[in-house]
Amino acid sequence: MQLSKADLLRAYRMMKTIREFEERLHVEFATGEIPGFVHLYAGEEASATGFCMHLDGRDKIASTHRGHGHSIAKGCDVDAMMAEIYGKKAGLCGGKGGSMHIADLDKGMLGANGIVGGGPPLICGAGLAAKVLKTGGVAIAFVGDGGFNQGTTAESLNLASVWRLPCLFVVENNGYAEATSSKYSVSCDDFTDRAAAYSMPGIAVDGHDFFAVYEAAGEAIKRARSGGGPSLIEVKLNRYYGHFEGDAQTYRGVDEVKNIRATKDCLMLFRKRVEGAKLVDAAELNKIDADVLAQIENAVKKAKAAPKPTAADLMTDVYVSY
Amino acid sequence: MANSQPRGAKVGIVANPAAGRDIRRLVAQASVFPIAEKRNMMTRAFSALGMTGVDEVMLMPDGSGLNDRIRHALKLPLPEGQVWPKVTFIDFEPEDSPADTLRAVRFMVEQGVGAIMVLGGDGTNRLVARVAGDVPLLSLSTGTNNVFPAVREATIAGLAAGLVATGRVDLKEACYRNKALRLVVNGAVSDLALVDLCISDELFVGSKALWRAEGLDQLFVSFAEADAIGLSSIAGLIRPVSRRAPFGLKLDLCPPARAANVVAAPIAPGIIVEVGIEAVSALSTGDSVPLRLRRGVVALDGEREVEFAPADQVMVRLAEDGPLSIDIERTMTLAAQHGLFVRETHALRGVGARTA
Repeated sequence: MQLSKADLLRAYRMMKTIREFEERLHVEFATGEIPGFVHLYAGEEASATGFCMHLDGRDKIASTHRGHGHSIAKGCDVDAMMAEIYGKKAGLCGGKGGSMHIADLDKGMLGANGIVGGGPPLICGAGLAAKVLKTGGVAIAFVGDGGFNQGTTAESLNLASVWRLPCLFVVENNGYAEATSSKYSVSCDDFTDRAAAYSMPGIAVDGHDFFAVYEAAGEAIKRARSGGGPSLIEVKLNRYYGHFEGDAQTYRGVDEVKNIRATKDCLMLFRKRVEGAKLVDAAELNKIDADVLAQIENAVKKAKAAPKPTAADLMTDVYVSY
Repeated sequence: MANSQPRGAKVGIVANPAAGRDIRRLVAQASVFPIAEKRNMMTRAFSALGMTGVDEVMLMPDGSGLNDRIRHALKLPLPEGQVWPKVTFIDFEPEDSPADTLRAVRFMVEQGVGAIMVLGGDGTNRLVARVAGDVPLLSLSTGTNNVFPAVREATIAGLAAGLVATGRVDLKEACYRNKALRLVVNGAVSDLALVDLCISDELFVGSKALWRAEGLDQLFVSFAEADAIGLSSIAGLIRPVSRRAPFGLKLDLCPPARAANVVAAPIAPGIIVEVGIEAVSALSTGDSVPLRLRRGVVALDGEREVEFAPADQVMVRLAEDGPLSIDIERTMTLAAQHGLFVRETHALRGVGARTA
């Protein structure tokens, strides 16, 4: 696996943008200014980045209710995302979707999803379209450990395998389906065990390690593009915040997150690796940090100042003309 | 079981829940080894260990649910005729990382286990070997590119481990000493490989497994078998070296287009590729060899583990103080010769027993 310096800087910027976006939302949500719920992706950045770095305009992704990271990694506009979360008209979905329904079809982002396990069936459709139209595109469903226990996911795995669709099913296993430990709720102990039942390869990868995710993702995507069919990748990672903002997280150990941040943080590990090997200067990464902070600050300011949808907007976007 | 009943024998079991999960399932059609089967192997081993008189089995903690399945099995009535040893779950919070294996094995050694059964691949055995000292290993394959552990039935493996741990079969007769390749980084031994240590020009550890021939620069092997899978097959198909030989091999590799000799080697399941060979030389025990590359990764037993940069001084040394392994066939043969599995009856006194 070879990554150019430009690739390394791009990966770091993507992960850092997701992190700062989420850290800022954690602060802003507590002010009560943001309507609805937010589910933060902080801690899981290496997964969305490791997969989406391989994608282009032909490719589609479907996300979960924890969808900000996937959206940013797939190229959604950060200002428009922030406006959407604030419920403003300038938002990606006109302020009508909010955090859990962010979508940008032009970017191949089929949507965050309020339905647990709602993404995989969409991805089968996207994969079928790519196959029939011979676009060379692939479709990726990001699913949580809770979503992977849903019947929709099981049906999608079967369908994708039967039709040999260019699909990837990425289980982002952060250990908890809302407040229920996956150690309790997952019968097979390891999601990769399920792949064999659907006649597809299944592998597990360390989601704290960008390089591990990037390489595995590249191979799975290459396989799908070349007609090899679907695959299942379990990404083992951790979320830094609750299931939703406001979750008291009584189900987690006292210092669980503190220890993970100190020892497994994907951004920290990335910097350590590339700086240690002298592949990238610390100054270049620091500059990205500063740029991203300013970008997020600007996005929040614009979102707060932006107008809300009007009563007339209630009657638009209800039906779509194809 | 025949023979007197030794007391207090303990056996440790290390079952790597992550073995059989890596990227080679995606790129190389490698076999899948579900956790449910690892649990079944362990309970079959319990039965065998109990039969040989082992009193206690110590298990490493895990975060995958494997031990939960064992706990469930312990609540059920035992299969008829079986006696399981007491099962102890070593008590610490697992990190779900290789550190768990090292910590558990150190504890097992402190507790005086007579043998450690290792359910995993070359990588798991490598970890156990780092800290097992002179406790003999019974290595059972559940991984991918396995050369070090054997593919054997867990019942028979459990019997062999139990026979050695209880002293019914003499450890010195039943075991052999392995070689090991020590990796020395900036003057300190940082890790080891049991079978092969390979240098690649890749920059990152990434998803660990090494399955591409491109960029391979040097290969060191402690032994090389012609019928092996994995990187050691490159050496094994040129110059086989046995596990017991007092030397290993060093191979300098290059792209096939520049090589005088090219070997077609099965470097991963289903992947047989041509590898260019620039030079092959014997590697004596005690020899320290510097690397040719100044930047790259070191793969230990087929898994990329260490990234090195120009500032690092990296050496490889073949050592003769690798782990002890229990030879299953030899142990069972010795047990048979001593009549350990035979019980004489009044009806047919002495028939069939002790026929060496």
